[in-house]
Amino acid sequence: MRQSSPSHRFVAAIIAIVTVAAVGCGKTPPASFRLNMVQATKATVPESGLEKPWASWSRERQQQVATILEAMFGTPDEPVALPETGLDLAKLQLAAGPVRSDIVGRKNGLYREHCAHCHGISGDGMGPTAAFLNPYPRDYRQGKFKFKSTWRDAKPTHDDLVRLLHEGVIGTSMPSFALLPPAQVDALAEYVKYLSMRGEAEIALFTYAEQELGADEALPTTKEFLVDEVLTPIAEKWQGAADARIPVAAIPAGVDFNLPGNDLANRDSVARGKALFLGDGGCVKCHGVTALGDGQANDYDDWNKAIVAVSAEVAVGLLSSKEAATGGMSSDALADHRARSAWLDSFAHVLEGDALRPRTIPPRNLRIGHYRGGRRPIDLYRRLYTGINGAPMPGVGPSGPGGKGSVADEEIWHLVNYIRSLPYEMDGELGADRPMVAKDRF
Amino acid sequence: MTLSTRFAPLCVLGLAAAVSGCSRPRIEAPVADAAAAITIREGLTTVAAGAGGGAGEAQVSGTGWGGLKGRFVFAGDPGQPKPLVVDKDTEVCGKMSKLFDQSLRVDTSSKGLADVVVFVRKSSRVKNPVPTTPVVFDQRNCEFLTPVLVARVGQPIDVRNSDTVGHNTNIDGTSFNQLIPAGQGTTYTAAGEMGMPRPATCNIHPWMKAYMIFRKDGYVAVSSADGSFEIPDLPAGEPLEFQVWHARSTGSGGGLVLEQPELKWNPKGRFTLTLQADEIKDLGVLDVPASAIGT
Repeated sequence: MRQSSPSHRFVAAIIAIVTVAAVGCGKTPPASFRLNMVQATKATVPESGLEKPWASWSRERQQQVATILEAMFGTPDEPVALPETGLDLAKLQLAAGPVRSDIVGRKNGLYREHCAHCHGISGDGMGPTAAFLNPYPRDYRQGKFKFKSTWRDAKPTHDDLVRLLHEGVIGTSMPSFALLPPAQVDALAEYVKYLSMRGEAEIALFTYAEQELGADEALPTTKEFLVDEVLTPIAEKWQGAADARIPVAAIPAGVDFNLPGNDLANRDSVARGKALFLGDGGCVKCHGVTALGDGQANDYDDWNKAIVAVSAEVAVGLLSSKEAATGGMSSDALADHRARSAWLDSFAHVLEGDALRPRTIPPRNLRIGHYRGGRRPIDLYRRLYTGINGAPMPGVGPSGPGGKGSVADEEIWHLVNYIRSLPYEMDGELGADRPMVAKDRF
Repeated sequence: MTLSTRFAPLCVLGLAAAVSGCSRPRIEAPVADAAAAITIREGLTTVAAGAGGGAGEAQVSGTGWGGLKGRFVFAGDPGQPKPLVVDKDTEVCGKMSKLFDQSLRVDTSSKGLADVVVFVRKSSRVKNPVPTTPVVFDQRNCEFLTPVLVARVGQPIDVRNSDTVGHNTNIDGTSFNQLIPAGQGTTYTAAGEMGMPRPATCNIHPWMKAYMIFRKDGYVAVSSADGSFEIPDLPAGEPLEFQVWHARSTGSGGGLVLEQPELKWNPKGRFTLTLQADEIKDLGVLDVPASAIGT
């Protein structure tokens, strides 16, 4: 046998050293929630007269929010549900923590097994795969959900979340979890609510710090503040979701959803729906005359819009801060200028790592027959009635109980009927009387 | 050179790349202090002894009513308003008159700064009940006719569309994003107090932007074209914290920051005053420096 040459031994040694140096020999630290750094940095805008350097002042304030959140919600491994949240701790424990089996062989750590790689440990929609997906995974922390049976600004019901997990979201990377046992889907829906409440409480705390606290003040940690003022209003909206369902009008005569959308029996209804689509419904404005989604198309959804706005602010600020003449400044003004520059620099770094590159939200192409929130007539009815929360899509129904919509409730069913007919319609308006083929749709 | 010596650097590089990965650069986020969190949690799970004296409520401490007025004057050069890019519904939008960016409206003769919002952050008493007459929020020529709309919580808003094209009115932070067909309207009842004015937009015509602020007590004034404002019927005898806001202000959260040391105008764009009964406090001319307004 040939003896290994010195260079062979050298290679092996280097590989060993590099591996140990990079991987380390400690235990993996337990998973932790990541602070909403965009919100945290936004809320720690420097004030004049800061005694400490800006960086240490903002870090202290941010750490205080992290500590309060841990007090209220626990950690990814050990969730806490204060009674005011109305959350079921047993369900949360099933979904939280690392993937493992418990003493009776029941699967635990469901969120990390099925969800975290896209939606992130903190529910920030920034898991490792997020940047590669289009659309981006939902960021739960704003507490905004699109596909639900409730009024536009109300929370989804538990059943809405369960249904969405069961069906998945067609046209996106969100798969169906129909193969999971119902108890597991139920636990995951509960955990989504938990992450959402946590994220909303986090935003509320940072907003309070920005709006109400002086430079040297700390957030109150009393029950009156944290539970009564911060948590309860958020939890009540979630608990009230079941009572915030929109009314559903009776299906008028001449609408038969058991037949295909282009069936002759539906012809009059479809014609009325088309008139609404082009007229009072206003659909044509964004979805286009041909419903290919080619109308107004350069808008952002609320999640992306917030990043666009803050990025622009930081870019403009950085530019003017670099151009500012510091020569004639008083020492106070210079300190303020330095703090502001440090803040802007830090914000630019945060946006690189804690925000995904903003993307516009094109209006749906209604000729494809993919409906993200569900394809049942009732699903389309709900999307039309309230619009889509968080997206530019406005509602044609009233904005709340007792309001007046631009299309009467029962007329919305005709619009639904027309939309259902679109994937099958002859392509007359496009200039050729032939059925649409897929390659022409784009 | 043997194969293995050539192989070594490649190997090391490959390993380093595999281990460090190609993840995005993320700054280290502050983490919770676990021990402190447990202490705080104990305070949250035990029943509080005695109801806390609602720190959020202002204490009733006076009688009578006063008022506040003043006039904002822009000290810089506002420049020419920029024409807006109108690329939707061009057969209607901007046809009546060309559309310009209205986010900084300065009166040419008096230099008065319009659309500055002044409101009370907390008050203990309110003189007038919530009006039942709606405030009108109209749009024509693909432009909102009210740059800043003020409503009391519970007051109806008559959202109209006087154009011959459809608009949607999307009020940030509320449930309202409704399509308003040409020539029609609907009513929205202002629900929930806003801490700062929020944008109202039309997603169909992205250049359209106005602001709205809903307050429970209605102690809100918006400066008129000559920059003047007045808030009547303010509760006298209690310290009132006023927030001043402008859409283009450079201050934190939109707060308008002026050099007013005697009012202790702070970096959040706030100052505190206590009014005497029947006193109409006149702040006089308030100079808004060019640096307080951003691009």
